[in-house]
Amino acid sequence: MDPTARPAVVIDNGTGYTKLGFSGNSEPSFVIPTVVAVNESFLNQSDICRNENWAAQYNAGIMADLDFFIGEEALSQFRSSGLYNLHHPINHGLVDNWDTMEKFWQHGIFNYLRCDPEEHYFLLTDSPVSSPESREYTGEIMFETFNVPGLYIAVQSVLALSAGYSVPKSDMTGVVIDIGDGFPHVVPVVNGYVIGSSIKPFPVAGNDVTQFVLQLLQERGELIPPDESLEIARKVKETYCYTCTDIVKEYNKHDRKPEKYIKQWSGIKPKTRVPYSVDVGYERFLGPEIFFHPEIFCSDFSTPLPDVIDMCVQSSPIDTRRALYKNIVLSGGSTMFKDFHKRLQKDVKKIVDDRIAASSARLGLDVKPQPVEVNVVTHPIQRYAVWFGGSVVASMPEFYQACHTKEDYEEYGASICRTSPIFKGMY
Amino acid sequence: MVYHSSFVEEDGITKACGCPLLPLKSHIKGPAPASNPGKIDIVDEAITFFRANVFFRNFDIKSPADKLLIYLTFYINVALKRLEGCRTLAVGTKAIINLGLEKVPVPGDLGFPFPGLFALPQSQDEAELFRNYLKQIREETSGRLLSCAYRPNGTPNKWWLAFAKRKFMNIIIP
Repeated sequence: MDPTARPAVVIDNGTGYTKLGFSGNSEPSFVIPTVVAVNESFLNQSDICRNENWAAQYNAGIMADLDFFIGEEALSQFRSSGLYNLHHPINHGLVDNWDTMEKFWQHGIFNYLRCDPEEHYFLLTDSPVSSPESREYTGEIMFETFNVPGLYIAVQSVLALSAGYSVPKSDMTGVVIDIGDGFPHVVPVVNGYVIGSSIKPFPVAGNDVTQFVLQLLQERGELIPPDESLEIARKVKETYCYTCTDIVKEYNKHDRKPEKYIKQWSGIKPKTRVPYSVDVGYERFLGPEIFFHPEIFCSDFSTPLPDVIDMCVQSSPIDTRRALYKNIVLSGGSTMFKDFHKRLQKDVKKIVDDRIAASSARLGLDVKPQPVEVNVVTHPIQRYAVWFGGSVVASMPEFYQACHTKEDYEEYGASICRTSPIFKGMY
Repeated sequence: MVYHSSFVEEDGITKACGCPLLPLKSHIKGPAPASNPGKIDIVDEAITFFRANVFFRNFDIKSPADKLLIYLTFYINVALKRLEGCRTLAVGTKAIINLGLEKVPVPGDLGFPFPGLFALPQSQDEAELFRNYLKQIREETSGRLLSCAYRPNGTPNKWWLAFAKRKFMNIIIP
């Protein structure tokens, strides 16, 4: 069976989590934290004991590149033994430690997916603001170290867009808001091409919501075991947080019916085995509120997310704006809060309607301009929308022609990976 | 600031330091006019909006009553900080009375928390009038705050007292 007959491997590398799987599936086979635990103990051995321990050091040096863990195993090994140091190869969506990234891919392909990289085409994802050099390095690692037959490096936003379509559509136009753990961006995509100059960053991500929830819990004096505080805050956030329409009304609802709104989170302290319980109240709706009022949490950024989306669309070419407003797509774990899309749609629509009303009033037009339709699209696979888009793209027959092949790599070098052709006519 | 005061019209209300002396539903003696017991007054607004407005750092002032709202939000933060260690309603009440006995700064004084928010008083009388109004409104706010910050059986309500740790507009309270 040649590689084009097998399903391609789809890997979505994110700052917080990496999603691995095979194309044609509707969800990733593995979702693991993007973290590597490396044994660096041999680096610090002093020269004095070098003679006695030369055998150990020799072995450690030889075996060091095999002695590492990724994902959940890495976190548990790091906690249980002091030998390992944690490395996060991806920060703010961009890879900055290529050795660690290579190790991560190695374990991911051989230990988790358990496939032979020489037998499958690969689809990897990349942030919309990454540099061409990083794509080149990715290509080099994939072709040299893993000997893959073909590689396609996709832009995360375009994949998220294709995941959002429930009916066949021929154009790929929309604004993608990808809020994961790293650095969210608002990316306009027109006909499958990212409009690079209109990409707007948004510095509030899932991690910030977790920290804010933790801060609120600690201010209230809830007893949270300190070594697991971020973990607990994250689980509280994922289980109980929701988006409200109005903060004061929400406070009043909590006051009137505390038994309905205040929840408990209970657990067992790992070291002492004592059970503890934490009340969860206002942070349920204040957590996601930081997307709409960032000044609650960050001192240097205060533009709400709906305003950033509006600025992004307004800076795009004028003929694309209506289409962009009509298709605002959410992707990423932090957009999964209940009613997040409704609140976002309401706020963006308000900004757009206000602007149209102000300009009509100023110009005194007899003919009213056609109202702009604002649509925030949400769908069941929002959390892994990028991975799902990759799975869909990689299962199309045209995929294999669009990939960079090993023959091209050997002929032309790693620079072929700098650009990847965009898919048209998806369905 | 997301929540603004609804007391937008100011005809017939005396002003001091550029701020209308809005009516209060108060039994405490002072320069404020009496308000209808059924209506919401500025102190009710301040307490209702406190838990939301305390998080914000940028304020757009839509009416002069908003200035009073900002001042009251800051005062509630100060009062909650005083109540931080008080385990019972009795101890809390004592702490609040002590707070009320302290000197009340007016705009132009060294200790006034928002220099530039209010206009400076034109005369000594205006300053005194404003000082007495502030004293009255502070006492009234403290009284209503105690009923929120403490449960009916006298124990502290952690949901309100958590906000003692919040720093409104990053102002460090002495």
